[in-house]
Amino acid sequence: MAEQGLEGSQPVDLKKHPSGIVPTLQNIVSTVNLDCKLDLKAIALQARNAEYNPKRFAAVIMRIREPKTTALIFASGKMVCTGAKSEQQSKLAARKYARIIQKLGFPAKFKDFKIQNIVGSCDVKFPIRLEGLAYSHGAFSSYEPELFPGLIYRMKQPKIVLLIFVSGKIVLTGAKVRDETYTAFENIYPVLTEFRKNQQ
Amino acid sequence: MSGCCKHCGSNSIVHDDISANLFCSSCGLVSEFDGYDAQIGGLNGPEGTFVRVGTSGTGTQYSYKESKIYNAQNLIDDIVYKFALSPSKCSDIKTMIAQITENEFGQGAWFPILIGACAYIVMRKDNKSLPIAEVASVVGCDIYELGRMFVRVVDFLGLKGSEEFPEFDIVVAFERAVRNCGKFSGLGKDIVERMRKQGVFLIQCAVQWFLTTGRKPLPVVAAVLVLVAELNEVDLRIEDVALEVHAAVSTCRSRYKELLESLVKVAQVLPWGKDVTVKNVVRNAPFVIQYMERKSMGKRGEKRKGVEEEEEKGGGIDLGDAVTECLRKNVEHGTSGNSVENDSLYFNAEENRGFVGSGGESFDQMKISHECLSLMYTEFLNEMGHEKFMEGSGEVPQRKGMRGFEFLACRDWWEGKSELSKKLLLKQILEKDVGLDALPPSFVNGCKVYKRRKEKINAAKLRIDRIKHPLGTDLVESGDIGLSECVNAGKKRKGKRVKDIDWEDFIIEALLLHEVKEEEIEKGHYNTLLDLHVFNGGILPEVPVWKA
Repeated sequence: MAEQGLEGSQPVDLKKHPSGIVPTLQNIVSTVNLDCKLDLKAIALQARNAEYNPKRFAAVIMRIREPKTTALIFASGKMVCTGAKSEQQSKLAARKYARIIQKLGFPAKFKDFKIQNIVGSCDVKFPIRLEGLAYSHGAFSSYEPELFPGLIYRMKQPKIVLLIFVSGKIVLTGAKVRDETYTAFENIYPVLTEFRKNQQ
Repeated sequence: MSGCCKHCGSNSIVHDDISANLFCSSCGLVSEFDGYDAQIGGLNGPEGTFVRVGTSGTGTQYSYKESKIYNAQNLIDDIVYKFALSPSKCSDIKTMIAQITENEFGQGAWFPILIGACAYIVMRKDNKSLPIAEVASVVGCDIYELGRMFVRVVDFLGLKGSEEFPEFDIVVAFERAVRNCGKFSGLGKDIVERMRKQGVFLIQCAVQWFLTTGRKPLPVVAAVLVLVAELNEVDLRIEDVALEVHAAVSTCRSRYKELLESLVKVAQVLPWGKDVTVKNVVRNAPFVIQYMERKSMGKRGEKRKGVEEEEEKGGGIDLGDAVTECLRKNVEHGTSGNSVENDSLYFNAEENRGFVGSGGESFDQMKISHECLSLMYTEFLNEMGHEKFMEGSGEVPQRKGMRGFEFLACRDWWEGKSELSKKLLLKQILEKDVGLDALPPSFVNGCKVYKRRKEKINAAKLRIDRIKHPLGTDLVESGDIGLSECVNAGKKRKGKRVKDIDWEDFIIEALLLHEVKEEEIEKGHYNTLLDLHVFNGGILPEVPVWKA
């Protein structure tokens, strides 16, 4: 896993990424169960990096600098960690939060850690005729320029949602493992080239 | 009910049929009302407190469900009336709502939104797109609320991707805007029709130029409407149109600007194309549109043949004559400042048989006859003469001064024969050639940003090199130049030649020093790259810092 975080510094594996483009992971959301009831007010009072406004949201919002992430900590002991750029960063961050909670005097454990969502993005570097794509892939796509500028493509296998923009920028979301993001992009890439606008 | 009057004690108490009160016929006292009847079933009805919820009513009393449906139907009628839809559409909407709610209809804040969404869908199914912004303003919710309901209805009815549910049609939206525009009501039918055709033509050009893809359609509609009105000498303010079509004024303005910029690009093929700028393109628009119209009548890839034909036909007047004439009169062309530069341009033009090739545009790329060009030119000269006169009389040459000219001219320049003036399918639009092959503005901007980052990366590399190899500074003297170049590339620093390094340069340097690939930096996801490569978050020790 560790070397995956470094893919930026290594040449692109064309077998895995025939398009030559590797989506950049932008956000990882994970959950973990600390397996103990928490007194959120006590946490908010003791931890400097925590904010808690029960009127607005029923969880403590805690942030750490490295890995730069945000966690939502609920009274039930469940925690959501967002903002990490790789799976291991997300896990490390979750562990750090658990450690903080433990230091505050709660018997926190680290149960059922799970990556819930991976968001990636990339740029195909050619303009895309969204109207054409929406027309020919009508069953999967929704293009409503009155509501949203991008085309929303709901891929069935892998089950990933792609936001495709006219500028050639793509956002992929809904993956549980990063390979789903990569597969989804490799699946959509030939379709996008079909609707590319040739630059002259 | 007591038998005698409380006041006089007489037995003459009479029942008044109208007020249902009892009164004394001798003294006139009205007795206290005690004629309480059970509300249901008269005197023989059920006893006790009757709570009327969820049961069937009797007589004129409706049950909850009946009154809910009745009110819902009324609300539907009311909203449909505001949209001015036909009765058949109204019944379609009712059927759709009945299907969705399983004949329950509904009440509450969500119900008008459902009606709006259904009205929108029914109209779109019939290829008569009703703008969602208009629906939202009638229903009184925001477009995203309506959009969410719309998506749910579309999913529920399984309309997604089906043939019977076409995409939102911007041309239809434009035609609707023309029909509904208050300012056009006083105009002649033929003018409105001409404006409609010109607008449809321009809208479809905008579609081809990617001005509509991924953008809200209504601001484009407003921009085209304003331009067309301007060409036809109808006074129409962009603010009014924006309000009328429910679009944001600033967006309409930027679309209008983009449209003009595209026209300027098309105008480059005209002999005086280099003089055409965003400021004077409206005056030149008749020629530009005429050119586009003619060009669109041919097919892509048949340019040469077409030009030869035109050459054969248009042998009557030589463009050279027109140019010479123009030089003799020494008039200015579209720009406010007459200059020697302009003249030299036309000498060039003459050499090239009148076609100033900008960026390799040559005669065989154009499909416009000599005759037509000379006609345009003469008209242009007339206009300039008029303008000169206005200037001579001490007036500031405002647009109003030109109006007369444009009004006369637009009768001649617009033929409306191009297929693009009719509604076409996207595929057909894309096949047409209107003299400009544009890329989406967002894509062009993206390319610029990439280029700027590339420059910054190169400058950063030079700076790093200079520090690493101080002896070789003579060789990398350009380091400073690189920096100043990249610094000045930023829009905000325009005109300032300050050699400072901003946060972005530092980040790029840090990333380069951590051996991040240049292609990755170019993408500009600095935070991600910093997290992955600089702060090393992802590749931390094999042994966890803390064990649970």
